[in-house]
Amino acid sequence: MSTPDTSAKTESAAALSVSSGQRTRRIIAATLVALFVLVGVFAAGRLTAPRVGTPATISAEAGFARDMQIHHNQAVEMSMMIRDLTDDPEVRLLAYDIATSQASQSGQLYGYLVEWNLPQAQAEPSMTWMARPTLEGDLHGHDGTEESAHNPGDPMPGLATPEQLANLSTLSGVEAEREFLTLMIAHHIGGVEMAEALLDRSDYRSVTTLARGVVAAQTGEIGMMETLLAARTP
Amino acid sequence: MPPELTVKQQREARRAEKVAALKKQQAAQKRNRLITLIASGLASAGVLALVIAFVVTSSTPKVDPASIEIEGLNEFGTITANHVDGTPVDYETAYGMSPPAGGDHWGAWLNCGVYTEPQQNENAVHALEHGALWVTYNPDELSEDDVSALRGELPESYVILSPYPDLQAPVVMSGWANQLELTGVDDPRLADFVTKFWRSAEVPEPNASCTGAIDGPGKIS
Repeated sequence: MSTPDTSAKTESAAALSVSSGQRTRRIIAATLVALFVLVGVFAAGRLTAPRVGTPATISAEAGFARDMQIHHNQAVEMSMMIRDLTDDPEVRLLAYDIATSQASQSGQLYGYLVEWNLPQAQAEPSMTWMARPTLEGDLHGHDGTEESAHNPGDPMPGLATPEQLANLSTLSGVEAEREFLTLMIAHHIGGVEMAEALLDRSDYRSVTTLARGVVAAQTGEIGMMETLLAARTP
Repeated sequence: MPPELTVKQQREARRAEKVAALKKQQAAQKRNRLITLIASGLASAGVLALVIAFVVTSSTPKVDPASIEIEGLNEFGTITANHVDGTPVDYETAYGMSPPAGGDHWGAWLNCGVYTEPQQNENAVHALEHGALWVTYNPDELSEDDVSALRGELPESYVILSPYPDLQAPVVMSGWANQLELTGVDDPRLADFVTKFWRSAEVPEPNASCTGAIDGPGKIS
């Protein structure tokens, strides 16, 4: 049988071990609660933020940035060609305007992909992004017609073929101007269509701003080129 | 005045106190266990929510060209990019490259496209400066079908495809300051090289034109 003295010691030792066990449990509980709050806040932020980070490699924005560079770069090439094929000041100035503005926009699109840490190389066939549903869930784009539907891998609308470019390079003077204007009107109509397809599928501000600029500038230039073409058609 | 307690009563009172303390302690332990259980349950749910949120918002993994590792890649680091019109450049001696993968070059860049004949190094290198890839193949090792298969694996712009006699490998891909020897047209590293280096931002003049200068001999596209 223990003396009162030793039994008191045993009791206090037990109390000590109980309180240290409780402390450990409280620390664990507090850590878990803190972790949960952290994770909860992070998840909530991630789920509710309208756009976290930058477009993915198969997004409409990245697809547009890649395809539109190819489209714009061909407009630059054709504009530089016509400046060598004619000395008509009106057409040469128009070509200067198209070459400089589209080269600049092409550089902007190039820079977006660099900034998003995405490759310039296509992650999937060109035009795939245009075959995906719009923000409103429509498959065919803003006007809802079959014409605006595209399939992955289709040639971009309005792009001139290598044969058409080879043919243009053999012409000169007013013949070259007519061919250039005809090709560039089709090219611009296709460019506007691609820009509108992006606007139907994205609310990423820097890219939609550029796309709206393309629609406005190229729609205006189509009218101007039709006037120039009519004046050169016998 | 309360009556004196007997020894027995005193013992029982102490015992009751101990039992009460023990019960209190047990209740506290039970409560703590419950708190721990709820907290860990909530934490698990939170982690699960995070995982779901992460999967939903980043279902497409990003492909950062900088993070692509290619086995057997030859890197040439910082190299000069001077215009040396008319002067032939010995790329093997000057940079240790064959075929050339950057360096000094002539004023006219070679227009990108598909060629059936060997091309002037100094013009092709200028196209590399603009972000093009130069895909060379050994004409003795690749059949016509191989060449068209190779063509099908490459982007339609910003690529020069041409034969290179006595090439050390069936196919050698070159971008500015980077080169890779392929074992054949079905080498899986081909796609990685395109993703990492085609129109790379690391070249001296990214997004400069690869058209409008000069066509070399044997251009078919």
